[in-house]
Formats: sequence, structure tokens, C-alpha cells
Amino acid sequence: MNRASILQGLQDRVVTLTLTIVVMFVVCSLIWPTKFPTFDNISLVLLNLSIESIVAVGMMLLLISGMFDLSVGSVVAFAGSITAYLMYYYGMYTPVAILVGLGLSAVIGLVNGLLVAKVGINPLIQTLAMMGIVRGLALMIAGAGIQNLPEDFNAIGQTKILGIQSPVWFMLIIVAVFSILVARTVFFRQFYYIGGNEKAANLSGIRVDRVKIIGFVIISALAGIAGILLASRLGAALATSGRGMELRVITAVILGGASLLGGQGKIVGALLGTLFMGLVSNIMILARVSGYWQEIILGLILIVAVAIDIILKKRAGTTPKKYVQQATSIASPKQVEA
Amino acid sequence: MRYYLDLVEYLTKSKSSLIPLTPLVKGVRGIVNRRPNYSNRISYHQIYFFSLLLLTLIACDPEKGAKYREQQAANQAVEVNSDEEYVMVTTAVNMPLYVNHDQAAFKKWGQRRGVKTSILGPSEWDVQAQIATIEQVVGTRPTGLLINGTDPAIASAINKAVEAGIPTVVYDSDIPQSQRHAFLGTDWYEMGRLQGEAMAKLINGKGKVACMGILGMTNMEAGFQGLQDVLAEYPDIEFIGKYDDKANVEEAARITSDLISANPDLAGVCGFDSNSGPGIGLAIKEAGKMGKIKVTTVDWEPEHLKLVQEGVIDLLVGQKRELFTWYGAQFLFDMVHQTNRLSSDDQAAGITNVPYHVNTGLLTITPENVDQFID
Repeated sequence: MNRASILQGLQDRVVTLTLTIVVMFVVCSLIWPTKFPTFDNISLVLLNLSIESIVAVGMMLLLISGMFDLSVGSVVAFAGSITAYLMYYYGMYTPVAILVGLGLSAVIGLVNGLLVAKVGINPLIQTLAMMGIVRGLALMIAGAGIQNLPEDFNAIGQTKILGIQSPVWFMLIIVAVFSILVARTVFFRQFYYIGGNEKAANLSGIRVDRVKIIGFVIISALAGIAGILLASRLGAALATSGRGMELRVITAVILGGASLLGGQGKIVGALLGTLFMGLVSNIMILARVSGYWQEIILGLILIVAVAIDIILKKRAGTTPKKYVQQATSIASPKQVEA
Repeated sequence: MRYYLDLVEYLTKSKSSLIPLTPLVKGVRGIVNRRPNYSNRISYHQIYFFSLLLLTLIACDPEKGAKYREQQAANQAVEVNSDEEYVMVTTAVNMPLYVNHDQAAFKKWGQRRGVKTSILGPSEWDVQAQIATIEQVVGTRPTGLLINGTDPAIASAINKAVEAGIPTVVYDSDIPQSQRHAFLGTDWYEMGRLQGEAMAKLINGKGKVACMGILGMTNMEAGFQGLQDVLAEYPDIEFIGKYDDKANVEEAARITSDLISANPDLAGVCGFDSNSGPGIGLAIKEAGKMGKIKVTTVDWEPEHLKLVQEGVIDLLVGQKRELFTWYGAQFLFDMVHQTNRLSSDDQAAGITNVPYHVNTGLLTITPENVDQFID
């Protein structure tokens, strides 16, 4: 492999992030040989990132089309709360309650999508407002939390297959399904076109509004799945769960190769982003570093990741100034290269 | 000179001496014996020995010696391994209330005992992340785990720690459905009742009362319930609602001023998180309603105490937070070292040799006693 092709490979965040994760894994295995590379520790790391990864898949899809959703954390709490509420207070059958929970989550996405695409409300404003509304609903429904959920419901998130808890399998299936959909189907390719240049996409006959609405429905439905899985895993629905999740998920997805400008990113990048953050958090715990350092370090890593991007892009002809201008013009109309 | 040397030698041989001086004395006696003629002059040696004597006498201070022996005896009773690591897992790890009280006491305990202490947890109020932290800490096999009982949902993580054979103590709010070995803390429902009773008295049993805190948190909801249960006993008191101030001073101030403008006849406000009090106080001062609207709230940080002094806050209900973590850590230590052993091996016998449930109690601060809480 020559130097040029190595450099080109390194421009793909999936490649650089995978390399970073492998290096981190090796280094930590050397530092904590009895604590880090154990089956228990790694399966726990995966379990803890599974819920956020499911949401991250939806966020990656939305960011590819140049949009994002801040209401996901609230939807996670809402979906778990409403499902638990229906089962606990109305004795509803578990599958029916789950379907209602998922359906209502999708409806939240539909409302977001309609208002963004048809009315033209900025996604930031729309989903910020929805974040508050849905959190309020979750608090109203679940109050101080609903415990003692039915056994069959708890089994969904607590069952182990091959020694690994089910949310991890859900995560892997969702990542695989969406990776294939995005890579192989014409419909999902449209997200890239919209993210690349919305006007051009519109002129070339893509029904931009419809794709946007579906994007919001998908992320809300995925947040719904995540919320129900979380409630089932904990055996309790918490109105406070998912607080701050939107920013963590956006961070993970940006680390995983998405751009706030839209038009780039791979679904597997979402998983790699959360995996990276999950490993950082695990290492902090092994090293006994307390919580606020973790946030500082993750913030620094994000800056470094974007800085490396700028350097690599500079070689491809984009000046740092242009990059920063583009990266900070989320709300303005798109004037990005197709 | 000889006399002094004998005295010094005698004193250094006594058990209460701190410094092993005998070899020194022997060496110096040799020098003195070689030069007997210097005894009628004050020499450097004499000055040296006078000071040495003085030092020895101080070292032999009977009271000090006794204390030292006591300490030695206590240390010998339990062999402390400096590799022992006690881990506290909380959430919102940098909240000033936690840092200044819980964590400070825990760290101090670790220093006194000569063991390692670590404090872990997310910086936000994030129960899910606290659970993730507990589960990952269990894998690293700490000597003992001290867990902030934030939400019933952490029960399964606590159980994992107990099943892994790690002594586990819950503090602040109990997680009764878990298998924790012991709990130290207060009853939030009682904190609510205490505020309710005080408020009813302050407003003479009639008027509009509101409360605020973090909605959706199990312990605070229990507090709200306690308050509402008491207020319901007074037919002339109208409870106008509970509001979410998100543990944020500005939010608490905003809610209070909204309440004041919506209800000019507002009689009282009760707060349940550490930022409710400063926020309520700010809004009441701005509205010029000091003394007209009665305020009861929790916690006793310096800003709370100042507001009591200024007559803005009428009553503070304080938790003895230092006691949760100091004695919580001591419980863990006593379990590990089998202090007060009840069987030949308590852990093997499945016996917990520490109290199961400890109510650390509450303290109330009013304008009458506030000065005693200010340094």
C-alpha cells in the first residue's frame, strides 16, 4: 500500500476509529490484564452502550441528511414510562403495551417530521420544544418511577443469549439491518443526497419532505425501542432516564464520522462512536477517575477528532476557515458541495 | 552529670518513652567517662543533655503516652492493609452538597484509617450511568462499596455487588428491595412531614402553599407526599402544586416569582433540593415579600444559613450527611475486618455484623439557633 492510499484510508473515520479502539484495547489489556480484557467486563461495556447505540443509529441516519433530533432522550423515558404504565396500572398484555409504546414514540417522530418538513420549523427549535413536552409527559405518567413490572416484560431485556444480555443483540441486529438498508437500498441513499445538497436533491425528483418525515419517525421509533429495552433491563421505568442522552449520542455519532453539515457518515460509525465512548468511560472507572474528568476528556477527544478531520481535509483542498464556517452554519441554508 | 545520665537512661527504658534513647545515652556516657574533669564546667554536652532531658520528659508525658498506647492498641486490634480500597458510587458527583459533606467525610475517614478511597459516578444526575458504574466497579473487586441510594432501579446493580461477595452499604435513601448489607440515611417522607408541620404552624393553619424539587426522583416524591399528607390535615390550607426546579437556582427563582404574581396571597413555599432554598429566597427578596411568605426548605449550605439569618427562610431541615458516609465506610470496614464477630466467620455464615438500618436523623435550623451552625 502506498502513502497516498494510506492517507485516503485514514480520511475514513470508520478506519481511524477502529484503529484507535484496537490500540486502546491492547494498551488497556496490558495495564489491567486481570480486569479489562475479561468476558464480564467487555460484555458489560457492550450492555451499557447498547441503549445509546440504538438511538445513535437513528441519529446517524438523520445527520446524514443534515438534520438532528434533540428529543430522543425524552422519548426514551416516555416510551418506557407509557409501556410500564399501561402494564402496571391497566394490566395490559405485555406485547400490546410494547406496541402502544412504540406506536406513540413513532407518532412523536411523525409530529417532529411534519412540523420540520411541511411547516418549515428549524429541526433545532422543533426537537428542543418536543424534548420538553415529551419529558413533561414522561414525568406525568411515571412520576417517581414505576417498579415491579411483569416478569415476561423484564425477560426481554434481562435474558442472556450466549452469555451476553439481550440489549446487545438488539443493538447488533439494528446496526446490521440499517447498515444493509443504507448501503443497499435506493430509498436510504436519498438521505445522503439530501444531506449533500437539499436543493439539488429536490430538483432531481427526490421527495425531500417525505424522506425527512420518515427519518424523524425512524429515530423516534428507535428511541422507543431503546426506552422499552432500558425499562425492561432495569425492571423499572424512570421518568428521569435518558437525560442528556441527545448530546452524548450526537457526540458519539460525530466521533463516528458524521458531519453536522450532513452528507457523510456510515451506520457502523454510530456503533464505533458509542463503543469508543463506552470504552473511555470503562477505562475511567478502572483508573478510578471521577465523572467530571470523563466529560472533560470526551470533550477534548471530540475537538481532537474534528481537528484531525480538518488537517486531513486540508490535504483534500478544504481550508480550515472554510471547514469551520461550514461546520458552524447548521441553521443557515445549505451551500455545501454536492 | 552522671546523675542526669542515669535519669535519662532510666526514663528512656520506661515503656512510655517515644524515642529509643538508650544507645545514645551509652555513647555519651563513654565520652563523659573519658573526660571526668570537665564536670565542673558547663559544657555543650551538658546543654545538650538538659535539652534531651526536657525532651524526654515531654515525651514521657503520662497523658500523651496513654493516648498513644490506646491508639497503638486500636491499630493492633485490626490489621489495616493499605491496599484496601473503599469505593463510593454516586451520581451528580460534583454537586456541591455531595462534595462538601458526603465526599469530604468519606475522604477524611479513609485518611484516618489509612486505606484508599475512590469516588466514582457520572457528573450529571444520571441513574442509568450510576448503574453502569456500579456494575463495572464490581468487576474490579473493591474491598467495599458505598452506594448513594438514588433510585430503586439501582437495586439489581447492588445485588450484583452483594452476589460478588463485596460488602455493600447504601446511604442517603434506602433501596429496600435490594440485598444491601446495611443502610444509613434519612426518611424523606419524614422530611416532608417535618416541613409540612412547620409550615402549618408558620402560616397559622391557613393559606396557599406550593412546593418544589426535582420531580420524578423517588426520594423527593416521597418528601412531597409527606408534605401533602400533613397539609391535607388542615382544611384551610390550599396546596397549589409541586413544581420542577431541576435542582437549579434560577429555575427555582423563576417558579417562585411566577407563583407570587399568580397568587398575590401566597402564604408559603417549601423546597426539597439543595438549590430550591437559594432560588426561592432570591425571588422573595426581589418581590419584597420577606417575612410575608414563609419558607421552609432542606439542606444547610452557607447560602441557606445566610438566608435564615436574613429572615428569608424560616426553617431548614438538614440531613446529617457526614454521618452517612463516615459510618457507612466504617460499617464496610467492620464487615471486612470482622470487628464484633458474631460467628467464627461471619461472611461465610452469611451474617452481617453491622446494623441493618440506621436512621441518622434530621436537624432543624431556625432563626433562633442558626448562629450555632455558622463558623
